[in-house]
Amino acid sequence: MTTEARALVRTMRERPVAERARPPSLPLEEFEQVYLRNVDVIMGYFARRCRDPQTVADLTSETFVRAVEGFAGFDPRRGSDRAWLFGIAARVFARHCEQSAGGRDAVARLAGRRPLDEDEIEELAGRIDAEREGAALMRRCARLPEVERAAIELVDLAEFTPMEAALALGVSRVAFRKRLSRARSRLRKEHQGNE
Amino acid sequence: MSKFTSNLWSDLVQEHGAALAHADRPEPGRARRPRILAGSTLALAGVGAALALVLTSTSGTPASAAVTVAKTSNGSLLVTLNRPGAWQLIQAGQKLAAMGLNEQIAVNMGSGPATVSGPVTCTPAPGIPNQPTVEVLVGTNGTEVINPGTTPGNTGVGTFHMNSCTLYVPSATGTGNTGNTGNSGTG
Repeated sequence: MTTEARALVRTMRERPVAERARPPSLPLEEFEQVYLRNVDVIMGYFARRCRDPQTVADLTSETFVRAVEGFAGFDPRRGSDRAWLFGIAARVFARHCEQSAGGRDAVARLAGRRPLDEDEIEELAGRIDAEREGAALMRRCARLPEVERAAIELVDLAEFTPMEAALALGVSRVAFRKRLSRARSRLRKEHQGNE
Repeated sequence: MSKFTSNLWSDLVQEHGAALAHADRPEPGRARRPRILAGSTLALAGVGAALALVLTSTSGTPASAAVTVAKTSNGSLLVTLNRPGAWQLIQAGQKLAAMGLNEQIAVNMGSGPATVSGPVTCTPAPGIPNQPTVEVLVGTNGTEVINPGTTPGNTGVGTFHMNSCTLYVPSATGTGNTGNTGNSGTG
């Protein structure tokens, strides 16, 4: 990357972070903060599920396109932006699976789908590699009930607080903690059983 | 932020910046804020591996805007930005549009102080008229300083300058990095 490019990336990556804790004054700035806080975890969500960098890129893009379109309706009083985005990501992935099964392009609606360049492919391939353990954990969770699997992913992989995860899953904090504890216990027993 | 996430952000703003600028957002504990008055388009154009801010708009700026556009004695337009953030560039675009100039501004920022004090003259992209000349000044002398204690956790603290700026029309995305280098404009 050229010096100029690095400088430009700096303006994208450091300045908004510097402003992150300041109350955003405009929807664009507010959404920028939402994006910066969450793009990495959303990318990780898809990197645990897909091995193709272009697919991870497309699904991440699709999630944020939908988020932009729905941002006017997002109310932070009703839950965290991360939980909101994970809800969108889950729907995007479900649709991707349905359409992949039907042989259709899951992200055809993403206007101007942009092929990745070599640097981006390398970055995303690295991210998929980095999520390998997370992907393995998710495979081990495959036999858990859906809500327990989601509890493990949200808290142990996506760094949700238990309260955020409870809100995202629409359960009380007490119920969520019980499910998380139960899920971890089952995984431990399964792991011990395999040894 | 990785190159992919930077480019994705650029694409999102380019495609949906206008819709975001119009979004009527709820705020905790407060009534919904008033809508921005009129249409604006914000684009972040990827230029090679780089990114530049590019935008245009048509009206309406908050009273607290730290953006001014003034006609200088030599007939050029001087845009002064207290900081070259996305919203400041939207405001600049709005003010330029109010003065009859509908091109977008793209800026390219770099680390460190400006080597030459003063504004940077924007380079028109191919096909853009060369008149009037548009100059952009960051801060009071071309250098932006973010001091310790002015940002949470002192993140982003440092000194920055504008490498270049470019004027171009909205349809000509991707041309935003052809500006001159350094503060080679008027001093």
